[in-house]
Amino acid sequence: MNSERPRLISLRNPWFTASVGGTLVVLLFSMFVGFIWLPSAQNDALFKGLLDSICSAAGVPRAWLSETSPPVTPQQPVSSVVLTPEMLIGPDTRGSIGRGATLALRCTMCHGARGVSAANTPNLAGQYGPSIYKELRDFQSGARTSAVMAPMVVGLGDQDLRDLSNYYASLPRANSTSAPSAPDIVATGAPMRNIAPCGSCHGGMVNKLGAPWLSPQPRSYLKDQLEAFAQGTRHNDISAQMRNIARNMTPDEIDASVGYYAGNK
Amino acid sequence: MAQVSSADPHDSAEQAARIEKRWAIVIVGIMALLVAVTIFTGLHWAMMPPSRVETIDPSTLHVSGEFVESNLGSAVEANGSVTVRIIGQQYSFTPQCIVVPAKTPIVFRVTSADVVHGMLITGTNINSMVEPGYIATFKTEFDQPGNHLMPCHEFCGVGHEAMWANVKVVDKDVFAKMAANTRRLSCDL
Repeated sequence: MNSERPRLISLRNPWFTASVGGTLVVLLFSMFVGFIWLPSAQNDALFKGLLDSICSAAGVPRAWLSETSPPVTPQQPVSSVVLTPEMLIGPDTRGSIGRGATLALRCTMCHGARGVSAANTPNLAGQYGPSIYKELRDFQSGARTSAVMAPMVVGLGDQDLRDLSNYYASLPRANSTSAPSAPDIVATGAPMRNIAPCGSCHGGMVNKLGAPWLSPQPRSYLKDQLEAFAQGTRHNDISAQMRNIARNMTPDEIDASVGYYAGNK
Repeated sequence: MAQVSSADPHDSAEQAARIEKRWAIVIVGIMALLVAVTIFTGLHWAMMPPSRVETIDPSTLHVSGEFVESNLGSAVEANGSVTVRIIGQQYSFTPQCIVVPAKTPIVFRVTSADVVHGMLITGTNINSMVEPGYIATFKTEFDQPGNHLMPCHEFCGVGHEAMWANVKVVDKDVFAKMAANTRRLSCDL
């Protein structure tokens, strides 16, 4: 019985030739539509021509903006630190912490013997390493200005800054006084006015790479920095990330967030 | 029924072939319709699968190239068109307030500095993902002055709901006056 039936996959089987042939025709036509016809209909010189339209439709990476005015260079120095999650991980982290501890002797005058400050300077103990490193580099490049810090970082090499960052990141954090419940600006922000919650970057909910841990930091320091961001006098935040937030905050919101993060400091 | 089919097997085979043919015609018809819809939307609505692929290193956007902070915003080009460069980042667009002229060809260039964001300009067909490592390019033209909201519409983290920008479309003359004093425009405060 079987031997008498025509073979299924065979050019003599009209069903086979019609269905496979038809599918091929549809495929070729669709490829013509997708790779040649529709791309060529785009109002874009880079899609014109057979090879261009095929490559563009297939997603070959290329520069899509041909003629354009040259980039405007910054008027004032901006941060040039490249932040990556592994940026401070070296072959010898313990050695790096040790060297950082020695280097940190020059910092103790203001930032405390173990990174917990008695003056109105930032607490560095337990601060995220990349955040410390970024600020040190910005002080060096002039992206962040400070009459106190600028002379302190002169002459320090890149590895010195990494060592210092690793050292301070390794110290235990100052005990945060039992925090009261977070104010709205910290917990939910003000989405209708473009303000994300503080906790969405500065720890509490999430930590964003490069954003510092804020609890606890001195009240006057936090307030000064927030106001400097709001007025644009501090501008070393990458792509205006913090200025965008700070300039939309009301004085009350600034006070509430500063009060929360400062604790009783 | 069994009696009928066993009575005349030849007839039932022909009937099956007829049904198969009709079925094939319907399927081919559906495929033709789908291809036709694709062609129609491609030609008349300029719809297109994402194909303007352009890559960029997201970690060095602020160090060099066209997405440095001082180069963001609207730029008037020699041919009269306007190029708008925007960065999406957790949790804001920079610039936060984008100003463009009406009745002028506009090219948007958008990229992300960290995670996947989205960009949608209400009242237009601009709607795209903003992915780190890739530059999204769109060409458009606004018919009349007005304000458009531009929310991030890809969940990008816990501050996502606060991430939006304004697109302010102004008269050509007004824009020309604003552009006389500066090379990159935005309506940020």
